[in-house]
Amino acid sequence: MTLRMKQALIAALGLLFMVSLIFVQWMEVARRREEAGVSVKRVHAPASSAACVECHAKVSTGIIDHWKGSTHAEKGVGCVECHQAGDADVDAFQHYGATIATIVTPKDCSRCHRTEADEFMASHHAKAGNILASLDNFLAETVEGAREPFSPHSPTLGRNITMVNGMASAESGCKQCHGAKIALESTDGALITVDDLKPNEDGIPTARDVAARVKRNEEGRPMLHSSSWPNTGIGRLNLDGSRGSCSACHSRHDFSPRRARQPENCGKCHLGPDHPQKEVYEESKHGVAYRDLFQQMNLDAKDWVLGVDYSQAPTCATCHMSGHSRNGGKITHDPGRRISWTNRPPVSLVMDTDARGAVVKTADPEKRREEVKSTWQEKRDQMTQVCTHCHAQNYVTAFYRQYDDFVLNYNEKFAKPGQQLMAALRQAKLITDKEFDEEIEWTWFYLWHHEGRRARHGASMMAPDYAHWHGMYEVAERFYVEMIPQARELARHAESEGKTEEAKTVLTVIDAILARPEHAWFESQKAEKAATP
Amino acid sequence: MMTRLAAWWRERVPVSGVQLRELTNEPVPNHLKKWWFALGGTPAYLFVVQIVTGILLAFYYQPAPSTAYESIRFITQDVAYGWYFRSLHKWGATFMIAAVILHQMRVYFTCAYRRPRELNWVIGMCLLMTTLLTGFTGYSLVYEQLSYWGAQVAANISNAVPVVGGVAKHMLLGGEVYNERTLPRLYILHAAVLPTTIVLLVIVHVAFIRVHGVTELRFPDEDVAKPSHYDFFPDHLYTELSIGLVLMILLSAVSTIFPAMIGPKADPLTTPEVIKPEWFFYVSFRWLKLFSLTFAVLSTGFIVLAMFAWPWIDSALRRLTGSDDASVYIGIVATFLLVGLTVWEAVVEH
Repeated sequence: MTLRMKQALIAALGLLFMVSLIFVQWMEVARRREEAGVSVKRVHAPASSAACVECHAKVSTGIIDHWKGSTHAEKGVGCVECHQAGDADVDAFQHYGATIATIVTPKDCSRCHRTEADEFMASHHAKAGNILASLDNFLAETVEGAREPFSPHSPTLGRNITMVNGMASAESGCKQCHGAKIALESTDGALITVDDLKPNEDGIPTARDVAARVKRNEEGRPMLHSSSWPNTGIGRLNLDGSRGSCSACHSRHDFSPRRARQPENCGKCHLGPDHPQKEVYEESKHGVAYRDLFQQMNLDAKDWVLGVDYSQAPTCATCHMSGHSRNGGKITHDPGRRISWTNRPPVSLVMDTDARGAVVKTADPEKRREEVKSTWQEKRDQMTQVCTHCHAQNYVTAFYRQYDDFVLNYNEKFAKPGQQLMAALRQAKLITDKEFDEEIEWTWFYLWHHEGRRARHGASMMAPDYAHWHGMYEVAERFYVEMIPQARELARHAESEGKTEEAKTVLTVIDAILARPEHAWFESQKAEKAATP
Repeated sequence: MMTRLAAWWRERVPVSGVQLRELTNEPVPNHLKKWWFALGGTPAYLFVVQIVTGILLAFYYQPAPSTAYESIRFITQDVAYGWYFRSLHKWGATFMIAAVILHQMRVYFTCAYRRPRELNWVIGMCLLMTTLLTGFTGYSLVYEQLSYWGAQVAANISNAVPVVGGVAKHMLLGGEVYNERTLPRLYILHAAVLPTTIVLLVIVHVAFIRVHGVTELRFPDEDVAKPSHYDFFPDHLYTELSIGLVLMILLSAVSTIFPAMIGPKADPLTTPEVIKPEWFFYVSFRWLKLFSLTFAVLSTGFIVLAMFAWPWIDSALRRLTGSDDASVYIGIVATFLLVGLTVWEAVVEH
């Protein structure tokens, strides 16, 4: 071989090597970028879902783009793995050769995420659908709307409206957070829900006759009623008997842990005048630190363990759910496990919970001992473990002293007297049994449901303005300037109608409350003034 | 004044300018004017870059399982220009290994290893092995998932070597398993033992070149009337400087555009789904996946041994075949194998 040939050979092979090296480095850099979370990981649709991905990439791009960015996609979990259904499932239908269902329930997710599903099922989140029979729902269904459709009273220009859905407020409001009772249309015009289907443990309806009446469209797809779907409320009552919706926090179809770790995610529901946790958090130093240090929070970390992956600031998830260095990084999907007071009811209760996770309300010490399976102190200890990642034990203990004092002051000075007064009015029949048909019922509702919760949440998360000006100041104003005068007016009105005894009973309760040392300031000057000739 | 100062210096350093020129001005064959024939100096140049950037990184690096990853993160995110010097160091290693391979390919295909330069080929092979080991130990220091598990895999592979495997693994890890003594051990190897070995080997390598002279390649169309050599200083030094400057620009550009990343921290309890070594071990990693561990390890050992002994194998082949070109054809196959296996491993996930 001549030297010239060898030179050409060296050039050719050298070039080949250099080109291959550039290619290998390109792949290497891409892999590194994926590992470091700088670029989106390459995904391959599993064979089971390849056709779904190909088609939906054209017809609903967003779904596929979100899925491609998910851990599911990285790990080869495709569309069918989650949407798959059995032939016996009431909402199953054939879709291009696959038996699937539209709604993915926690029971479906539990096929892979057993522990998470179990924890979630034990949580108060999963029971959020109970609102469907509560006072709040009476407001949306009756006060704000109407349980039965009603006729419009004048035309809507450009539209031919013949009937008004009085449940609209509940459907777009309450149920979008609390969860709807999923309903299928029936061939007889009724709605079919979990109550009618009576599913067994596997989610298969036992009432087969009811299941047979499910109305299907021309493609054979069961028709979900718009009163219940779309809905990702966290306490959704699903057709298979499961409760809740994992996508309430994790969003479909990217199931993003990163998003679930951010307070904005919780802020879909935990905000507003009655439970402004999101705003309270934003006002607190925790929220301020988060907003400032957001970029350093390592939100893409696999496990996101406080004290290991980050410690710049806590989010809602940090304190209530995420793992931390003192508990071995163990996450919980029950956000109630670290909460020591429930500030949801008119009077705050300590979180002594029974085996089902419900707050034990009995006053009998013996029964309490029997029923309580997890004490408020245990829950507080768990929260303290989180707090002490950034605060000294003395600091945390003193904070809880301030918080306890605040809740007790609210409970004893306003909440319990308010309850007592409302009970006296109702017992004396000075107000009806129907809620919200008298002014004082609205007043009382504002006091505990809006201002009272704002105050307690403000104190629980160290947001002073919510504790005071948006909280206790308004509670006090509502109590002294509205509730007491309205109660007296009701009593005076009753007296004028000849209900002397009833009026006297109510006025005695009012006087007894206002005579207490903590209320004495309110009328002492007025009494002196009245006594002065 | 200047005359007195010069006299003072000559008295203490009795080396004249003429002697110095004679010492450094080795006549250089004309073919070295072409840069692809002058790749021997490139790894040396890059080695200096590695030493300088390595010293800067060593100011901050803390070689212990509890601190290593955090110190790398600190270098990358907090130290001024830390990311740049770490990237230069990372890409410098890649460039250096590539340059060593290209240099070796040139030496191989021009048969520059033949008598009387066999021993210098062996020194060159030692330099290749030492460079690869330096790359491996350097990567392991990052203490991220892949580098940690890469070290684990390497330890298990060395364990598969018959007779000495167990001892090799024990020496690499400082125990039977990866422990708190492993990282300091890898660090000492990477930052002290291996660089010193490279320096010593380079000295011997260059000394051999000076003793034997550079292999002369004469092209048939060269004008015989023209001189066949040119001066090392300044002519060849300019060539080397040009290569060095182009390299520095390339290195800086690549380091800026593709800065060194930091993956998830090593987790001894969680094996990553995909384990990949650094690219220069892709070829052996793919080889390992193709065959049983023992066969792959033994055959790799055999290939490395053959590479060391190539000057003598080549000599035997020439005698056997009566042709000068058998080694060239073997080289072509080997290059395709090297490139093919490396690209294969780069493309596949597992």
